[in-house]
Parts: sequence; C-alpha cells; structure tokens
Amino acid sequence: MSVALHVFSLYSREVMRFRKLWLDTVFSPIISIILYLAVFGIVVGTRTIGDINFLSFIYTGLLCMLMVNSSFANPSFALIISKNVGTIADLQVVPIPPWGIGVAYAAAALTRAIATLVFTVLLTIWFIPLDSVHHITVAILAAILTGLEFGLLGVIFGMWAKNFEALTFITTFIMQPMIFLAGVFFPISTLPGIWSTLGLLNPLHHNVNLFRYGITGYADVSPLTSCIAIVSISLILFIWMQIQTKRSLKN
Amino acid sequence: MDALRTHQLSKQFIQKNGEPFIAVNNVTMSIEEGKIHGLLGPNGAGKSTLINMITGSCMPSSGEIVVFDNNVTDKTIQSKQVIGIVPQEIVIEMAFTVYEVLYYFSGMYGISYAERNKRIPKILEVLDLSEKAHERARGLSGGMKRRLMIAKAIIHKPKLLILDEPTAGVDVTLRQRIWELVRELNKQGTTVLFTTHYLEEAEQLCERITVLNHGKIVKNGDLKDIQQEFSKNLIRFELFDRNTTHLEEVQQVGMAYNYPIKNLRDDLDRIAAFYKDNLKSIRSEAASLEEIFLNLTSK
Repeated sequence: MSVALHVFSLYSREVMRFRKLWLDTVFSPIISIILYLAVFGIVVGTRTIGDINFLSFIYTGLLCMLMVNSSFANPSFALIISKNVGTIADLQVVPIPPWGIGVAYAAAALTRAIATLVFTVLLTIWFIPLDSVHHITVAILAAILTGLEFGLLGVIFGMWAKNFEALTFITTFIMQPMIFLAGVFFPISTLPGIWSTLGLLNPLHHNVNLFRYGITGYADVSPLTSCIAIVSISLILFIWMQIQTKRSLKN
Repeated sequence: MDALRTHQLSKQFIQKNGEPFIAVNNVTMSIEEGKIHGLLGPNGAGKSTLINMITGSCMPSSGEIVVFDNNVTDKTIQSKQVIGIVPQEIVIEMAFTVYEVLYYFSGMYGISYAERNKRIPKILEVLDLSEKAHERARGLSGGMKRRLMIAKAIIHKPKLLILDEPTAGVDVTLRQRIWELVRELNKQGTTVLFTTHYLEEAEQLCERITVLNHGKIVKNGDLKDIQQEFSKNLIRFELFDRNTTHLEEVQQVGMAYNYPIKNLRDDLDRIAAFYKDNLKSIRSEAASLEEIFLNLTSK
C-alpha cells in the first residue's frame, strides 16, 4: 500500500502551518540576522580571516545558524503544541507509518529553513562584500543537508519532550552551546586548547564549514570530511527518528 | 464477516508507584459488519483504552485485534485506513479553517485532491457547516467543533466508525442530529461502535451492547435479549405517597419501585395487599438499560 499521498498531505499541512504564521516563523529570524550583521559590521569593520572579509565569514555562519534554528524549531514546536492541545491524536490514528510522519515533518522543516534562507539572502546580500559564490552546488547541498539533519533532530526531540520545559532545556543547554562552538562567529582554530578540539567534534561545525566553503571557499576542515560527517549523522538521526516516533505515538 | 474481533485482549499499565494496573482484562468480543454496537461502562471501566488499542494508538499487552480481517498489530496501516474515530476530546487544528482541517486530514488517508474537493462541500452541507467552511476552527461554537470532529471521522468513508462519547456536552437538538447521522451512516453500510454515558442513547441506537467494568466484560449480547433476561423477575410500581414503609425486597429506582418476582400472581397480590390505596400503578415490564447497567456495574 503506497502512502506517498498520505505523507505528502501531512507535509503540506505542516508547510501551511508555518506559512500561516510567516511573520513569526520566517521574518522574525531575519531581524536577528540583520541586528547581528549591523553590530559585527560596526565593531569589526574591515578585518579579514584568511582571504575573506570578516563580514562574509560571519554572514555565512549566521545563515547556517538561521537554517539550524528554523529547521529544529519547526517540527519540535509543532509537535509539542500538538501534544498540549491534543491534536497529536490525529497522528496516532491516520494510516501513516512512523517513518512517514517523521519524513513529512523533517521535509516541512527543510522547506521552512530554505524559505527563511532565501528571504534572508534577498534582504541582506546587498550589504555583504561578496563578489561571487565559490561553489553554488556545495552551498545548496549544505543547505539541504542542514535543513534535513536538524529537521530530523527537531522531530526526535519534539516526539520525546513531554512539555515545553523539556524542549526549552534542549534548546538552551544543547542547541545554543552547539551553535556558539560551531565556528559561526570565529574560526574554530582560534579557540584555546580543549575548546578547539570540542569545536571540531561538534557535529554542527561541519554544517557551518561546508556551507561557508560553498559560499566563500574558506574551510576549517576538508569539505569532503564535513560532507561525510553530515550524511552519517543524518542517517543515524533518521533511524533514531523512526524509533522515537514509533515509541511516542504508541504511548 | 466480523467488522471487529478481539481475542483475550489485555492492557496493563505501570502506575507511578510501580504497581501494575490492568485497564483492559482479557476482553474477547466481536462486532458483526453493518451493526451498531454500544460499549458501556462507568468511568475508568477501560472503554477508552480498548478503543485506543483498536485504533492502533496504544499497543495491547497481550491478545489480538482484527479489523475487517486486518490484524491491528501486523497490518496497522490497513486497519487504520478502514477506521474512523470521533474521540472524546475536541482535537482540531485551531489555526486552520474548517475546509483546511478536512482537506489535510482526508489527504492523510490518501484521498486524491479532486475527490477531496468533491467530498468536503458535501460533508459540510450534511453537518450544517457550509457557511463556516472558510472560518478558522478556533472561532466555532462547541457544537460546531463537535460536528467538525464527526466530519473528520467520516471524510474517508470508514467501514468501522468509532464514536467515543460523541454527544457528551451537546444540546438536545444536536444530539438528535448525531443520532440521525449515525443511523444514516449505518444504513449505508458503516459499522458503528460507540461509547456513551447516556443509556437512553444506547437504547435508541444499539442492537448489541458490551458492558465493561473494571476492564472486564460483564455483559455482551443482543440488547433485547439482555433486557428480557433482566425483565423476567421484575414488577414495577409507583406510589401516591412515597413516605411509607416498604416490603423488604423492594428497590427504589427514581420515582418508581422494583420488586423481584418469585411467582407473578402471588407477588402482585402481595404488593396490592401491602400498599392498598397508596398504589398508583403496577406492571411487569422490561428493565431499562439504566437498571441493567446499574445492576451489572455495581457488583
């Protein structure tokens, strides 16, 4: 029995959900990015990192951070709200297997991440000293993999969390430190001692690294290593997502 | 063919204090295709847990559930495809319009876009929601939300419709409307399983009932047979003045009294002689479902 239309309908519903709240879901993160750029642009000015301008360096990091936050928040908050208002019951009775539910939510997360990315770039690219994109295919691949990876993570934690407090805990104590140690604002190599090693082990660092390489050509570690790391982590998350979704919907 | 069959079905939960709690205990029952079946029982009897297991929302601890030849554990997707459920609570995506709620929900049952656009206006008309089609579900009244829940449950034309207290908290007019709709769907071939606290409702709609208490089946069968079984030993009478002494065997039920029959003629004579002019009416009659229910669940 094919469930493609079933899964696509759930995906469409989740896309419609963030479209209905577009000011909150798509445009509010853009304001944060503009503020970051304004502050760093004034403070750091024309400094360079390697061969690239610092503003371009931080810009690519901020875009990646934006995608991570958007794709993680979309399924995790949608699911926790569903649990609170009871609409999670819909997911328990519809004829869609757990993997299909997870895929639909992760794909909607990717869509939101890409939509947010496109709008942000359109609104901010004019202020960034970027002459050309180094490798557009790599940049697009990195954006898609990042959206999917953190969409899957959002599904896992959205399914796992029993209330908003649990989800806020994850966001504050896991996601935020990961973002700040991922080389968004500075190269990992400039971190002192153990922090530099921790930064390199941070899975999110590979997303930032690959995306930044695609746009500017700058990379802390080999882009191929980052690509392999992201794909491997995504596969692990895909399996974990299926187990977690099945467990949560049966209880 | 059986629309639903359960065999030695049990569900055990572990409570916060670590003690096991058996919500459903060894339930074996079946519902014939095309029938309306009532599932009755007091609060906490295990009705909702049983329904959750049938719909695949909750895993049984042991036993088997078969819905139209699909084992719910092995063929979960196939069995979910033929079930429609109206849960007790109103659960609707409040940010969506009425039309959108039905559009996406029916899509999740694999209904094509063209078919959805045909079915939704029809179903909204049947449930008197056409005017609200493009309003957000958040703004609907309680009765309208309840109707929308029913629309969600029947949009994919399920072969087995499960209604978990669908008329709880609705006014008399809407309750009558829901009854009509259930009868209509049943005429079209839908098998209906519903739980209710309104015993009058079960009497009006059901051909067969299952009474659950403490997770176990205490009665299962044809409603008329059960009523007959309980009516065999009953005389009902009313008094002008209820502030009086009574025969030892007499039980008060509302404004009336019941007397268990040993020998009909002797018992009628005995009651008439005891209450004399105070006797307003007396008859031997079928027990109401309320009496049967109280009798079965008070044990």
